Amino acid sequence: MKIDAAIVGIGCSAFGRGLPDSQLRLAYAAFKQALADAGLERKDVDGLSIHLGWPLGLDYDRVAEGFGLDIRYVNQSWLHGRFVTNALQHAALAVSAGLADVVACVTAVSFTRERGFLGGPGDIEGNREEGGTHGEVPYYGLTAPAGGAAIAMQRYMHLHGVTSAQLAAVPMSIRRHALGNPRAIMREPLTLEAHQGARMVADPLRLFDCCLISDGAAVVLVARGDHARDLRQKPVRIGPMQGTRSGRDEFIFAPRGLGINQQSAKRGRARERDLEVFGQGVARDEVQGFYTYDAFSPLVLFALERFGYAGPGEAAAFVQNGRIGPGGALPVNTSGGLLSEAHVAGWNSICEMTRQLRGTAGASQIADARALQWGTAWGDSVILTA
Amino acid sequence: MSIEKPRPRIGPDSAPFWNGCREHRLMLPVCTACGKAHLPPGPVCPFCFADAIAWREASGKGRISTWTVVHKAWFPAFAAESPYNVIQVELDEGPRLTSNLIGGTTPAIGQRVEVVFDDVDAALTLHRFRPA
Repeated sequence: MKIDAAIVGIGCSAFGRGLPDSQLRLAYAAFKQALADAGLERKDVDGLSIHLGWPLGLDYDRVAEGFGLDIRYVNQSWLHGRFVTNALQHAALAVSAGLADVVACVTAVSFTRERGFLGGPGDIEGNREEGGTHGEVPYYGLTAPAGGAAIAMQRYMHLHGVTSAQLAAVPMSIRRHALGNPRAIMREPLTLEAHQGARMVADPLRLFDCCLISDGAAVVLVARGDHARDLRQKPVRIGPMQGTRSGRDEFIFAPRGLGINQQSAKRGRARERDLEVFGQGVARDEVQGFYTYDAFSPLVLFALERFGYAGPGEAAAFVQNGRIGPGGALPVNTSGGLLSEAHVAGWNSICEMTRQLRGTAGASQIADARALQWGTAWGDSVILTA
Repeated sequence: MSIEKPRPRIGPDSAPFWNGCREHRLMLPVCTACGKAHLPPGPVCPFCFADAIAWREASGKGRISTWTVVHKAWFPAFAAESPYNVIQVELDEGPRLTSNLIGGTTPAIGQRVEVVFDDVDAALTLHRFRPA
């Protein structure tokens, strides 16, 4: 089966911290906006692909029941940020296979109200017998995704002689993208002094290396290619893709070979089998912007190395001198990502990529954007094309 | 909010590890077919896929492969120790363990360490490491 799918509608709620609305109300605002954007009606949506369920987000059956939908295809992954690509891929596969005509990827999160689940006594993620999937071992005090990003970055800095001041280029560049975005929560410039002077969260991660804890919703509507051509917007094609990497040599928050948990400690360039996304019609040097799950600033470095934009240990140098900022050679997360726009689990960036490829991104517009890559530190990817 | 520290979940695959800690012995699952030890404890060998695990006492020695110092007060029960370190130790047998470094020094990658046992209560003993 050939994948033939496009993003036909996008919508976002307001983003903020401490928003009083329920997740379902946030989702409603985004859902209505996405339908209007696409020129579709509620009854046209017959599939749901849900990235983050209860308690941070919404489960598929709550969305279907709460919005009065009549659904014939669902996908939902466990409550974890890693499944953003997975949720979009499921939507594309479902419409291509005829399992649904229009799949709504619905992400609505209330991180501020439910932050107890992110770390500490309420962190169920870390309570697996073998430890949490970001390396959490709560009985030794390691909890929350930040802990996993910290132990990975600590070793990366040691192996490659990288400093916190170099890492600061990631949140500073992404903040510069956010300055012109009226939806972004963080719209004050971030200086190196502010980054270095901010409180330590888990060494070596300082406050601004950690994403926002925020509330908001985004809805992305996916339809088959022929259907998309008949709708209101210029379709944004869901093009080349590859799936999540998993195995003993993988740690969710590290490039291969970094030596975290049970990974090998043999660093090397990205393997060909992990770059299959570039063998499907869009070469890496044709990618005009890179979008990634920037929950923690090291993840941007690790994702750039995953996809071969930089060699092992070289991403910290790669991101210096404005290369990933506005007008840079490879802009990253042009709406401000999770670090500065809002933590809508990456779907704010999927919406931004769609605006870019439609040519409606406003102040952040990449000139003549035709191919943009979404790719994560755990090795999955989707390239969207105009 | 709980003021108790969290405890490990112990199931069939990890029980021999924690029983060993209670006896102050660091036990590892070792494959009798290929000879490799692995962590976290599983029922079969992840390297050669053989169903031939025997539990053997490890040397208890290794090197710090990475670490962090946790400043954010996620756990009320850890507040008195804050900030505190968490280390990963690459055991001389190969697998890595997450633990704490005791003795008041900041961890360093490559530092040699050895296991010590901390009897939390009658039912639970945690391994920790000290500079070797």
